[in-house]
Amino acid sequence: MAFVSRIRRQSDYNTYPSSIPIVIDNGASYFRIGWAGETEPRVVFRNIVQRPRHKATGETVTIVGDLDPSMMKYFDCTRSGPRSPFDSNVVYQFEIMEYILDYAFDRLGANGSGIDHPILITECACNPVQSRSKMAELLFETYGVPAVAFGVDAAFSYKYNQLHGICKKDGIVLCPGFTTTHSIPFVDGEPIYKGSSRTNIGGYHVTDYLKQLLSLKYPFHSSRFTWEKAEDLKLEHCYIAPDYASEIRLFQEGRKEAEEKTRYWQLPWIPPPTEVPPSEEEIARKAAIREKQGQRLREMAEAKRVSKINDMENQLISLRFLLKQVDQVEEDDIPTFLSDTGYASRQELESTITKVTQSLRKARGEPKNEPAEYEENPDSLNNEKYPLMNVPDDILTPEQLKDKKRQMFLKTTAEGRLRARQKRNEEELEKEKRNQLEEERRRENPESYLEELQAQYKEVLERVEQKKRLKTNGSSNGNNKSGGVGRGERLSAAQRERMRLLTTAAFDRGKGEDTFGSRDEDWQLYKLMSKDNDDDDEQPDSDEAELARLSSRLQEIDPTFVQKVEGELSQTSGEVPRVRPLTEEDYKIVIGIERFRCPEILFHPNLIGIDQVGLDEMAGISIRRLPHDEKELEERLTSSILMTGGCSLLPGMNERLECGIRMIRPCGSPINVVRAMDPVLDAWRGASAFAANLNFLGNAFTKMDYDEKGEDWLRNYQIRYNYL
Amino acid sequence: MERELMEADIVVASRLSFKKKQAYEKYPKAQSSSRRWKHLKQILQAENFPDLPPDLPTYVNIESPPSTQPCKRLCDITGYEAPYVDPRTNLRYANAHVFQTVRSLSSDQVHQYLSIRNAAVVLK
Repeated sequence: MAFVSRIRRQSDYNTYPSSIPIVIDNGASYFRIGWAGETEPRVVFRNIVQRPRHKATGETVTIVGDLDPSMMKYFDCTRSGPRSPFDSNVVYQFEIMEYILDYAFDRLGANGSGIDHPILITECACNPVQSRSKMAELLFETYGVPAVAFGVDAAFSYKYNQLHGICKKDGIVLCPGFTTTHSIPFVDGEPIYKGSSRTNIGGYHVTDYLKQLLSLKYPFHSSRFTWEKAEDLKLEHCYIAPDYASEIRLFQEGRKEAEEKTRYWQLPWIPPPTEVPPSEEEIARKAAIREKQGQRLREMAEAKRVSKINDMENQLISLRFLLKQVDQVEEDDIPTFLSDTGYASRQELESTITKVTQSLRKARGEPKNEPAEYEENPDSLNNEKYPLMNVPDDILTPEQLKDKKRQMFLKTTAEGRLRARQKRNEEELEKEKRNQLEEERRRENPESYLEELQAQYKEVLERVEQKKRLKTNGSSNGNNKSGGVGRGERLSAAQRERMRLLTTAAFDRGKGEDTFGSRDEDWQLYKLMSKDNDDDDEQPDSDEAELARLSSRLQEIDPTFVQKVEGELSQTSGEVPRVRPLTEEDYKIVIGIERFRCPEILFHPNLIGIDQVGLDEMAGISIRRLPHDEKELEERLTSSILMTGGCSLLPGMNERLECGIRMIRPCGSPINVVRAMDPVLDAWRGASAFAANLNFLGNAFTKMDYDEKGEDWLRNYQIRYNYL
Repeated sequence: MERELMEADIVVASRLSFKKKQAYEKYPKAQSSSRRWKHLKQILQAENFPDLPPDLPTYVNIESPPSTQPCKRLCDITGYEAPYVDPRTNLRYANAHVFQTVRSLSSDQVHQYLSIRNAAVVLK
């Protein structure tokens, strides 16, 4: 059952005379305000403020309480998060407090020129005097309140229940609240703060724990687990186990009771649309379209080819004509004759002709004679191009020597190219042979071949994935960061590696003494660091090439193979790569053991890392701290233990507390744990009953008092709760 | 302001009749609020606790002490009883099956599990 806010504007403000006090229960979770003497607060809302910017006008507006998501589209909420005036359970941000009070008084219907009623407001136990004085100042100066009184909410709750006979005038109140838990003993109806104790754990921590656990268990759905959702889950499903150890044994052994206690939350999931195998006509139609497109492309290519052939033929004809002309002209006139055609010598012309004929032949699609031609060429070329090669060095002039060097270079490069081509041919032959072998193997024994391939694929995939995971470790799951990962993030693996090397290597030596650096080899550490950077980049290539080859092979022969796409890798870190499609099961959130693991932190704050006592021991601490020495007082105290505060609504709290307190008290002492009539509202009700009393003004202080008496007096100010 | 917003009436008006000094006058936008207000730690430091009589209950005085009962060791991942600790990551685990999961976690997740328990080492 979730708490409901009540924020309708009240219209009867003016019907109340100015002697009726306004009662405010200023809690870290909810803010309740109403008139004294009534049983229900008029206005209730969550104690948070947001200041988003209005999208249209650009001005910053203030919104108090829970948000209505449908209204949020008018606002730009990027730079404003919900802010609370509380730090633990002490008010420290009075600007936000002012917005909240504005809203509260406005909803109560205030419309005069000041709040003319005395105010009773709750605070935490032993509130620091600075917070108290700032609050008083705010109320006096900004709102013009005539008189103010401060009280502790747990005490009001106890008094209210005492009034109704639930607890006696000596007892202990245990109040697990939103951020803190208090235990305050009462003697003769007055709270003894000397004996009180406070543990910094509360409903907020329980919700936070639940949220973090679920986010880590289901990283895929981590965006679903907002704080509000976690709180809803907590209110609905969490309970306190009477004995934690036996409960987890139930779950560990998988007994039937554990099954009954597990709750499932099914997230909305739409199965991907199953592809209906296309009907015959569909296939035929698609094939026809494809055929037509192919035909069109082929025609275009053909036309282009024909035109190219024509061009080349023309060119060839003109070249041959030119050659004939050159033949007719005499030797000496050749250069002049050819100068306007662009060819320097007859040989050039001839070589151009041969080139054009070759390309013409290729275009026509005739079988290649090139290898043969090429092989002939080197020999002939050798003689033409490298005339100087075979001539020994001493008869050559320096110029000719230079020429010779150039020709040697040319020759070696040409030979190198030849050799490279031969090697490539050989490799291709090899590959062909290997493929053939594999084909034969496949034909012989298709199943085992397939299995082999799949196993290989999985192995290589695993290796590649792990490398990827190591490289890009935190960046994909960065959105479910929870508290504690603050500035210590190191986004790149290189920096993390560097830090790891530094800390481990430097720590490994010497017990307590840091002797790093005394030996020269130590500094080789820094070489390791940058070397790690380079190493990572080279190796994966071979693995990835292997992976590509295997996956293409598998795709050819295995009809059920689904290639693992890279994008999914980041989300399933920590799991075996799923080669099956997502099912409904994956969208089911199982909340079994978390149901009672989360509230367990109220009794064992160590689970969260807070080094303080839990609820059950706090009662013992209170008794111990009380300055007394009568045994009967202790018995009276333990026979009237009141549970109040929002967290006490968890089922199973009473029995657990009783067990816990019985463990720390001497055997046979009377223990009686009761829950308040309404743990959430009783604090306000008690305060309202207190304020309705005629003696109230005697307990409040006015602005003049505050000005005259100063801070020290305020520190010692306490109201007297006994008004019966 | 859109009509829908006006009807919903969720925004606090900037000018309220019962206030002597309005909020926008008090808090000009320039200063950031976090620097203006002291946090709880600073408030507590400012209080002169040594000067006060020692038996007066104050905010710091009434804080509860550490627990005297032995600490429960629970598995970080499943919540069962965990007698074992993984030396590499310092996570607690319950049995061999959980151990495999522990070893396959990314270091970011390990860090988060440890920070729930307040046991994470943050290197800066």
